Amino acid sequence: MIVFLQSLISGVLIGGVYALIGIGLTIIFGVMRVINFAHGEILMLGMYLTWNLFTRLGIDPYVSVLICIPVMFVFGGLLQKLFINRMLGALPQNQILLTIGLGLIMSNTMMLIYTSDYQILTTSYSSSSFSLGGISISEPLAISFLITAAITAVLYWFLMKTDTGQAIRATAQDREAAQLMGINVQWMSILAFGMGSALAATAGALISPTYYIFPQVGGTFTLKAFVITVLGGMGSIVGATLGGIIIGVAESMSAVYISSGWKDVVVYVLFLLVLLFKPSGLMGKSRM
Amino acid sequence: MMKKLVSCVLAASFALPGLATAANVKIGVINSMTGPEAPIGENLTNGIKLAQEDLKKKGINVDLVWEDDTGKPQIAMSAMEKLATRDNVAGVVGPYTSACSNAVAKLAEKYKVPLLVPAAAKEEITRQGFKWVFRMNAPADQYAASLIDGALAMGKPKTVAFIYENTDFGTSTTKTAKEYVAKKGIHVVADEPYSKGSPDYRSTLTKIKSKNPDLVFMVSYVADAILLMRQAKEVGLKPQAFLGGGAGFTTVQFAKEREISNNVFSCTQWTEDVNWPGARDFFKRYKAKFGKEPTYHAACAYESMIIMAETAAKSAGNRDKTRTALKAGKWSGIMGDVKFEDYAGFTNQNNHQMLVQQLQNGSYETVFPTKFATKKPIFPFTGWK
Repeated sequence: MIVFLQSLISGVLIGGVYALIGIGLTIIFGVMRVINFAHGEILMLGMYLTWNLFTRLGIDPYVSVLICIPVMFVFGGLLQKLFINRMLGALPQNQILLTIGLGLIMSNTMMLIYTSDYQILTTSYSSSSFSLGGISISEPLAISFLITAAITAVLYWFLMKTDTGQAIRATAQDREAAQLMGINVQWMSILAFGMGSALAATAGALISPTYYIFPQVGGTFTLKAFVITVLGGMGSIVGATLGGIIIGVAESMSAVYISSGWKDVVVYVLFLLVLLFKPSGLMGKSRM
Repeated sequence: MMKKLVSCVLAASFALPGLATAANVKIGVINSMTGPEAPIGENLTNGIKLAQEDLKKKGINVDLVWEDDTGKPQIAMSAMEKLATRDNVAGVVGPYTSACSNAVAKLAEKYKVPLLVPAAAKEEITRQGFKWVFRMNAPADQYAASLIDGALAMGKPKTVAFIYENTDFGTSTTKTAKEYVAKKGIHVVADEPYSKGSPDYRSTLTKIKSKNPDLVFMVSYVADAILLMRQAKEVGLKPQAFLGGGAGFTTVQFAKEREISNNVFSCTQWTEDVNWPGARDFFKRYKAKFGKEPTYHAACAYESMIIMAETAAKSAGNRDKTRTALKAGKWSGIMGDVKFEDYAGFTNQNNHQMLVQQLQNGSYETVFPTKFATKKPIFPFTGWK
């Protein structure tokens, strides 16, 4: 029973961070109908930013989120303005190639600067945990989860209640109609890409105290983000949150009850089953 | 004055007989000097350079022919062909990697060139009955055996849990380890391969914790080694001992993470504090000359070059005589006693004594076998701080 609860809690906590990655991707897709295959690489940039802030300036990884968000928001906005905007009407495969190419440039640039060595960020709490009724809960993961929850809540409020948020949602629902209503859709796209990038980078910052950092780390997370987003329903924030947690728990459970070598198989079987029986994803109908 | 000098020289030459005849010898070196294996290859290069200096002091001028294999077997093979046919070397030391060494071994046999492999671990290299291939270091099966032997000498472990990456390196090391524990009557309670690069091993470690094993045996590279130990601490895994099968567990980076690396056992071919003749001196001189601490690869390469050059010089560069002398000879140096024997399917294999080391307060201490130990092992595991 303890083992079951332990793996459930670990799964939920890690799933929270996955959700953050998925939400970023889903916002970008929702507004622009572009799948950002450089999402994992943006996360990797967030990790390196956090690592640099920590090793050079001694800024705690969780505090560095405050720096990561604006910096990567601007970075994402620039990417959108300079590259992606020009491709909005283009064929989907061209958009995919563009984002893959951007991702390759990012990871190889980082390799040029930092070499392909693993960087490990060690904080005083990197391996601490506290016990809750016999179940040990990782301190860094718990903090990440709380930060993730707070960011998701703020994001939800922003999209639901503010004028800008409503404009972004309108753009996601119907780009042309939104434009006719006087919404600057170009600007909304830049905002959405900036937000998506900031969220990916935040996820990177949040996992850096418990994970290792290297230039090729992005690929794994791009794939994960893609699965989470499709599983939850493309463009749905609630779906991405749910998807992230489901993937986290599925990984954790299959590592315990099958074998950790098989956990990816379990995740993809689950993914295929959802696609077979509910092709639009779990929350497929709703658009934010 | 002149007379005095002449008599001095005469006296010296009488005191050290044979030196005048064994002046020059040509030895080939194949090593990974560039390419992905270069960071470790550098250790071998430096060890060999230091050996060359020391040989010169003994009156042996070694003419080294350097070949860079860039870590690729096909390049190592063409380097061997060149050394054997064009350069006419008396013997070859190298290459570093298992893949290169295994490829080169076949050519050494073909061209009848004595080859001394300093540090490649793949068992097969000396298991093919080759007459011209010698190996200094202990092969891979010794890694697990020495750790388990160490644990058995320190306590009475009954159960063991394996957690290892599902790559060639992880699975093959664990396979020999599993066979060995079966022989020793230790029960395997968990067998967990994992795919590299996963951010979360907590659930697997919790599962292992629930089985309450006496020993936890891990095979990982450095990043996963740190992650595994961090998360083992988080879930409160507390066996009698953590055994790290080489690789990530023997790195400076791992040792730096004191909070989680303390009291972890691992095994190695050589340490600076072992009481083999000249080991500590080698460490000091190496550090002074190259500004870095030598790894066991450096020590293996150093001793290999000393043995190869001395033997070849004594045999006046004759390959056949060199081979016979290597086979018959016995040495004692920074790698302990060296003798190339045939046993357990191996041919010309130095039955090298692996060392078990333990991280105590951030530094690696040799703790087993007892006769080479500098510190007492801390056993069982004292728990997390």
